[in-house]
Amino acid sequence: MTNPKADLLQGTLDMLILKALSLGPLHGYGIIQRIRRMSDEMLTVEQGALYPALYRIELKGWVTAKWGENETGRRAKFYKLTRAGQKQLRIEEESWDRLALVIAKMREAT
Amino acid sequence: MKWLNIFVARVRALFRRDHVLQDIDEEMRAHIEMETEANRELGMTPEEARLSATKSFGNVGSIRDLAYEVRGGGLMETFWQDLRYSGRMLLKHPGFTFIAVLTLSLGIGANTAIFSIVNAVLLRPLPYQAPQQLVTLGELVPRGSVSYPNFVDWRAQSSLFDSVSVVRSNENYNFSGAGEPERLQGRLVSAGFFSLLGVKPVLGRDFLAEDDRPGATPAVIISHGFWSRRFGNDPGIVGKQITLNNQSYTVVGVSPQDFQYGLEADVMIPIGLTAERFKARGADPGVTVVARLKPNVSIQQAQTETDVVYSRMEQQYPETNTGRRAYLMSLHEAFVGDVRRPLLILLGSVALVLLIACANVANLLLVRASTRRREMSVRVALGASRGRIIRQLLTESLMLAVIGAVLGVLLAYWGVNFIANQLPDGIPRLTETSIDVPVLAFTLGVSVFVGLLFGLAPALQASRLNLTEALKEGDRGSSSGRQRLRSLLVVSEVALTLTLLVGAGLLIQSFRRVLQVDPGFDPQNLLTMQVSVNNTDGHQVAAFFEQWQQNVRRLPGVKSTAVSNGLPLGVANHPVFFIEGRPRPQLGTEPSGIRYTVSPGYFETLGIALIRGRVFTAQDTRETPLVAVIDEALAQQHFQSEDPIGKRITQSSSGTPSYEIVGIVRHVEQYNLDEPSRPSQFYLNFNQIPLDRLPTQVRRINLLTRTDVEPSSLVSAVREQIAALNKDQAVFNVRSMDQIVAQSVAPRRFSMLLLAIFAVVALVLASVGIYGMLSYAVAQRTREIGLRMTLGAQSGNVLRLVIGQGMKLALVGVALGLVASLAVTRTMKTLLFGVSATDPVTFTGIALLLALVALLACWVPARRAAKVDPIVALRYE
Repeated sequence: MTNPKADLLQGTLDMLILKALSLGPLHGYGIIQRIRRMSDEMLTVEQGALYPALYRIELKGWVTAKWGENETGRRAKFYKLTRAGQKQLRIEEESWDRLALVIAKMREAT
Repeated sequence: MKWLNIFVARVRALFRRDHVLQDIDEEMRAHIEMETEANRELGMTPEEARLSATKSFGNVGSIRDLAYEVRGGGLMETFWQDLRYSGRMLLKHPGFTFIAVLTLSLGIGANTAIFSIVNAVLLRPLPYQAPQQLVTLGELVPRGSVSYPNFVDWRAQSSLFDSVSVVRSNENYNFSGAGEPERLQGRLVSAGFFSLLGVKPVLGRDFLAEDDRPGATPAVIISHGFWSRRFGNDPGIVGKQITLNNQSYTVVGVSPQDFQYGLEADVMIPIGLTAERFKARGADPGVTVVARLKPNVSIQQAQTETDVVYSRMEQQYPETNTGRRAYLMSLHEAFVGDVRRPLLILLGSVALVLLIACANVANLLLVRASTRRREMSVRVALGASRGRIIRQLLTESLMLAVIGAVLGVLLAYWGVNFIANQLPDGIPRLTETSIDVPVLAFTLGVSVFVGLLFGLAPALQASRLNLTEALKEGDRGSSSGRQRLRSLLVVSEVALTLTLLVGAGLLIQSFRRVLQVDPGFDPQNLLTMQVSVNNTDGHQVAAFFEQWQQNVRRLPGVKSTAVSNGLPLGVANHPVFFIEGRPRPQLGTEPSGIRYTVSPGYFETLGIALIRGRVFTAQDTRETPLVAVIDEALAQQHFQSEDPIGKRITQSSSGTPSYEIVGIVRHVEQYNLDEPSRPSQFYLNFNQIPLDRLPTQVRRINLLTRTDVEPSSLVSAVREQIAALNKDQAVFNVRSMDQIVAQSVAPRRFSMLLLAIFAVVALVLASVGIYGMLSYAVAQRTREIGLRMTLGAQSGNVLRLVIGQGMKLALVGVALGLVASLAVTRTMKTLLFGVSATDPVTFTGIALLLALVALLACWVPARRAAKVDPIVALRYE
């Protein structure tokens, strides 16, 4: 938990999950698929890392969870972005944009 | 809200662990199923699809655990673990646990008991509606009384009060005509008294204005207790007649069961019925006042208005009202102001006891911490963080504190009863004492606080360990930091104990001095009782008292008898008087004195010594000249150089009737044994009261019997003599004079007793503390001592070494305690009598006592050290 690398990854993962859910409620498996599709198959989320992150986000109040049925009628837990979650997503996107910009500028400066 | 979500989730995770885990499992299973399906769509065989899905998911077990911890199981579960582990540790060391819990429960219990009294008496609002708006009015002094005509004028001219009422407690009524006659306590009030307080009678109504004037149909409101006792809770009581002082009263109401206002009263009667009695504006102020301020009116505003009203009255009635001012005071303050300081001192003392208890338990924990170093090292080696270990140790100490608190509350429950039984009537509202929610909250707060207090230092100490050193060292070791901390604890324990002992010592000294005060009379073998005679025939009244005295004097064991209006250590009349032949003093500066109206046998019966002249004799009658006896204080204050005998005094400015002073007697203590002032006193002859006025002056007459035997053995014989003369005559306040003296010092005795108990507990705790610390130090130094002895030290040297170590600390504690006491005892000044707050005898004596006890506590471990066998000691591991 105190490892800075882990923190960075975790923050990123949070944003990816929020982004995926911003397109509509989804279950865990679907979130992984959606992230993969949204990143043009470039990003694969570790399945084992997903659930702890999801639960953490749920406790923070960014998503709510509810048992339901998927498209094939299987029981699955669906996560839905809350208003607080949308706000958090905006904040994280902005800070990513800023970071990307800063890094881009620094690379140009050489 | 976020923290609330988290908290709920954590609690749920803890208590519904299976449920949460099941939820996680199911979600993961669903995930794998979905991936398996997807794999099959890609063309895998069912087995391949499942295998691939499972593999790509990762280690289900560890993910599950991680997820569970995130879902809140973590923190709560470690807490739960800590709790179970602490429980096991406490059970494994029953000796330690027993001592620690016992010490804590004593400390916490005593605090809970005292706090419950403080809570009931000082903190809880008065049991009336909006009590902060209630005030009292007193003339001359706050909390005093006022004269009734002034009250009536003030009531008419004030605008800042919702309502006001007079209260005159301690009236007495003879209840007759329904079974055994009974002497009742009564209270005179104004119309609207109950509605002013916001109290609703359980039956009937409050007094109305038409009840509260001369000539109205006599009405009475009876207390709940009297209603159950004499009327069996008769629901039809309202409207019935009862007989009080041979007069018929209609019951109009019954007060609620828990209603309380100052002194107990069985019956309440409108004051307006007897307004005649209080018509003298300049007389001894006789009634107290309770008033309700209008909303948003402050006492200061009302006081300003009252000042205006009183200065107007001063101009209107210069004869009586010159210099008369009236003061408002909140009713709560008026009720409990006197006992605030003694109670707070007790609370402070009992808090010191708890601090000492904490120091002792902290010491025990430090000892235990050193025996647990290995355990701690192992835990650290296995990866426990420092915070984790502190948390574990604090959980243990909190658990001790909470167990101590639970037992403490039981102790307090018993203690409150014990204290209540010790108590004088002097402490108001004490009957309301109970262990209620605020008290329990206080106890909980205290126990958590002490748990942290005594647990934190040892926990920090224990967690700060050097791993390799600790593991190597085993159970022994030079741990100088810990030793320093323990020394500090012992020093502060001794210092606190000394402070408590000095406080208790000063109170004990004061109490002894009070008892040594010569009251001016002989309280031994003196039986007193009171009667209130209802008979309008002066001849019969005089004959009753004469006959009773003659009959009682004939009883075996009786030496003499007397009757009197006024008695030492009781209620007194305090009228003004004038000395004949002197210029008339200015209004408001007239001399006043305590007046006793007594039969000739009074001085002999009470044992009041005659200084000069003579006392009353049987030859002084209604037909002979009026005579008076004065006390030495009056003689000194008003006849410095002259001889008072032969001079005349009078009670009215008109000069008649006047009384010739025939004798001077010793001064007696009237209000309290520790009364600082010596008010003048004078005696008139009971047998010279004119027969036509006699019936109005026998409302509260003392019947006094001096005996050769234990006075209580004569009670029934003396009462029989009263019943033989009048079977309807109620008798009350049957007490021996010794009892009256004891009651007068009861509040002082109470503070002294409690503080002494606390001090003794502190002393025991402190000596246990010193003993424990030294025993442990000796055990630790066994090897060193053995070495010294091998090298030639004698057992005497060892004895000195150990005692020196202990006494050094004890003496530092004594010195610090003396300094602290000097600061603290100043707050006790008002409780002391005949001894200064810095009394050198008490201070030195207590310091010596404590040093002696400390020496004893050092002696036992020192002896043990001196008996160490060097051979064994050197092999000691």
